[in-house]
Amino acid sequence: MTLPKHVYQAFEDVVGAVNISDDPAVLDSYRYSLAHTAIHLGPFYNTYTPRGAAVLLPGSAKEVQAIVKLCNKYRIKFKASSTFWSAQGYPSEEDTIQLDMRRMDRILELDEKNMFAVVEPGVIGATLQAEAMKVGLNTHIPGSGCSCSVLASATSYFGSGPSNLYGGCYYDNLLGLEWVMPTGEILRTGSVNSTGSWFCGEGPGPSMKGVARGFLGAKGSMGVFTKCAIKLFAWPGPKTLPVEGVIPAYKVSLPETFRAYTLAFPSWKAWADAAHLIWDTGIGYLAHRQFNMFGRDLKFAMVKILTDPTKTLGDLEEVLADPEVQRITKQSERDFQIILVGMTARDIAWQDAALDEILNRTDGWKVEAMNVPEIHDWVLLYLIRLGHKNLNLVFSGGYDGAFGLLGAMDYGAAHAEEAAQFKKTWEKRGAIVDAGGDCMMGPIGGQGGGGTGLWENFTCFDPHDRESVEGTLEFFDACTKLGLEKGWGVGMEKWNSVARGSDGRTTPKAERDRMHLSAPQPSVFRYQHKIREAFNPNDLGDAYYETLEDE
Amino acid sequence: MALKDFAAEMDRCSVCSYCKWIPFDQMKSWRFAKNCPSVAYYNFNSYSARGRYAVARSLLNEQSEYSDTVRNIVHTCMTCGACDVSCKVCRYNLEPLEMVRELKFSLVEAEQVLDQHEALIASLNQEHNILHKPKSERGAWADGLDVARLPSEKAEILFHAGCRLSYDEDLQKTAVSAVQLLKSMGVDVGILGEKEMCCGGRVYSMGYRDEFNHFADLNMKVWANAGVKTVVTACADCYHAFKRLYPPLGSQVEVLHMVEFIERLIQQGKLRFRSEVPMTVTYHDPCHLGRQGEPYVPWNGVEKKIKGQIIVYEPNKPRYNGAWGVYDPPRNILRSIPGVKLVEMERIREYSWCCGAGGGVREAYPEFSAWTAAERIAEAKATGAEALVSACPWCERNFMDSISATGAGLQVYDVLALVEKAL
Repeated sequence: MTLPKHVYQAFEDVVGAVNISDDPAVLDSYRYSLAHTAIHLGPFYNTYTPRGAAVLLPGSAKEVQAIVKLCNKYRIKFKASSTFWSAQGYPSEEDTIQLDMRRMDRILELDEKNMFAVVEPGVIGATLQAEAMKVGLNTHIPGSGCSCSVLASATSYFGSGPSNLYGGCYYDNLLGLEWVMPTGEILRTGSVNSTGSWFCGEGPGPSMKGVARGFLGAKGSMGVFTKCAIKLFAWPGPKTLPVEGVIPAYKVSLPETFRAYTLAFPSWKAWADAAHLIWDTGIGYLAHRQFNMFGRDLKFAMVKILTDPTKTLGDLEEVLADPEVQRITKQSERDFQIILVGMTARDIAWQDAALDEILNRTDGWKVEAMNVPEIHDWVLLYLIRLGHKNLNLVFSGGYDGAFGLLGAMDYGAAHAEEAAQFKKTWEKRGAIVDAGGDCMMGPIGGQGGGGTGLWENFTCFDPHDRESVEGTLEFFDACTKLGLEKGWGVGMEKWNSVARGSDGRTTPKAERDRMHLSAPQPSVFRYQHKIREAFNPNDLGDAYYETLEDE
Repeated sequence: MALKDFAAEMDRCSVCSYCKWIPFDQMKSWRFAKNCPSVAYYNFNSYSARGRYAVARSLLNEQSEYSDTVRNIVHTCMTCGACDVSCKVCRYNLEPLEMVRELKFSLVEAEQVLDQHEALIASLNQEHNILHKPKSERGAWADGLDVARLPSEKAEILFHAGCRLSYDEDLQKTAVSAVQLLKSMGVDVGILGEKEMCCGGRVYSMGYRDEFNHFADLNMKVWANAGVKTVVTACADCYHAFKRLYPPLGSQVEVLHMVEFIERLIQQGKLRFRSEVPMTVTYHDPCHLGRQGEPYVPWNGVEKKIKGQIIVYEPNKPRYNGAWGVYDPPRNILRSIPGVKLVEMERIREYSWCCGAGGGVREAYPEFSAWTAAERIAEAKATGAEALVSACPWCERNFMDSISATGAGLQVYDVLALVEKAL
């Protein structure tokens, strides 16, 4: 559909002619290929999200409000996104107005004393971190990396990542927010509404955080968040990261109070025990099973390639043939990375001693090959900035997570190995990268710093290769079947299939209802239905805000 | 290559938007975090590398058609290559700069061109330069200089001035300084004078592949007739054309930028600076000398898969990601000049911000080009430097025009100008 001329003109009057387009080529740069990676619902070869009716680039909350009011007036669906890196940020239905929030990219406030920042949607983790470090603070960065919008991660998704352990995930860290509600009214939550300051996310009155975010974030389906305050935490390092090295092997040498260790364990039980002990002792700044995303068999070879600017993927087989690489690979099968940061010399000495005791109790060890300076300093930079997350897609451009979800770290002992071995058999069929079966990665510490982990088993494929895509989908279907048979539940591979189907469009209601009714807590979706009715009476979002209407 | 040869890349681009930012590891502030001028200015996804992949796919699949908007999307790319560097922090099997070039070629082949670019091509074909100047005056900058004129005279080394240094009266002094310095060092140098022709590099970056090939062929023939084995230039664009674009067409001459030559003289102890130049300066890496200044490596191979679905190449494909560009020679020269204090901007070396003059943008989109230059000038001023130094006349021209329009209060020098002051 082309918007009627008078409607297009009405939108243009809000944002100006240079900030709106309905040129088909522009609109096609705002579609998402579900062949490439569907973020937990596909992949589907040669399938795209629907083409929007127009793309708008609002420059202020006032403009967003005017756009939303026009959408209500003309009954046009709308969806806002900040960085457009996952299928969730794209509409599920034709002729949706797409709001690209990148012009609203200011850090409005950085309150050193009260340790928070107020940001607009276009602010990404890297820019906020760079500014926060100048005043001795740091921000959590989600597992999807520092290219992602801070506001979107905090308001519209889970926002989990390596620094959950010390800094808390974005959901934890969300303070107040400014919300252009689906009807076009503006709501400011927390202390900002009564005092004008953003220091507190709640009150007076009932919390609106759950209402605004919904289950796992509103995913662009319930109005537009135009500002939020985010909690920051201590950064005892330099004001600017002193980065050295030849691209892409950038590295950073930080003070003596910083450590980057790769820990490995003789069993999954020991691995999980170590995580529990780390939480109990309260040590650690970041912890993540990171480089295993390349696969148990490939991870150390990939680290060797990534830390050597003269090497490429084409050197992989030669590196893998090195007996020393094979030895380290074997040594680090069940591993994770942890960064210790001491606020003082005494603090880091204590953390080091505590970690040694944890390793002693669990029979774990430090993988010394990961401690040579050129790798140690690369790991340190990698995990602190989290600016290489596109390595998820390094092999051929497509990846998606299988199995996994949020849960106790004991999943490792319970069924991670079984899932890995299951994947390994599928890897041999050729559709997905043969990486050793265990490609599980995720933070060692979920919500609130500990008690849970979040994991997914990376599955890499070629989005340009129909057989690879279809073989991957077949594997994911098999994962779901296995998960249900074993009582593990549906894994990440189908996480968003409740909202968007194989044609890139909204899943039929009957199918959505079936999935929501079989969820562990269907009442969550009943509650969200009531919220949607109250806050979004014209239903101008999409099914990523999950609702159940069965009563 | 043709646009359809990039169809796999169009699918394999993961739309992560790394192409819009400097490498994240290198970010030092919110203010100077962006790398792509066109998406920073026009904002729509389509003006970034990821967006241009999508636009190219849309055109290839006939889901959209040429339009004024499509022409703008393609021709506002300066082909500065910053996207390419950031993409390749993580990816080994995408070539966004090559794809965008191919997209430009395809538009030109389809006659989706801009009047301003057509005027340049007319000047190129008629006058052998892209500045609408008579070819008979090309060598006038060297009038009065005691320098051999090839091919009638012979010399070991050819100094190629390039269009900008030949005709731009504010910048001709750089070419004069270069020749005088080389001669004073005992180098047997000559010029082609009025027989010199455009390198073709700038029209290549506008999408005119045939015209580039034609002028590359002409230049290589002139060099062969004159017995040229080494070409030295003070223009980053010419350097890139000769160093990277000519070898696949058969050129085997050695190519050096003046900064490489001068650094070599300093290292050999042949050049010593005697005068103090008390000045705080910052250095701007020209795209074509820095990240695109890596040497050409021949490759003729094919894609293959290992480990099921890992894409590699047989034989290994050379990787151009800005790692080995010409960054240190100009800095080493500046550091060796007594009195000069070099302070760095936030975006440097392989992740340097473009001056705004590339890809035909200066000619076709002057406001956007000026904005891009002004962004760099703001970054330079933030260092506290008195002067912005570079090694490319196109960058220097764009900066000078921006400063003159905005009154930014910053001096612009070529590295050679400071070398001359220090002798």
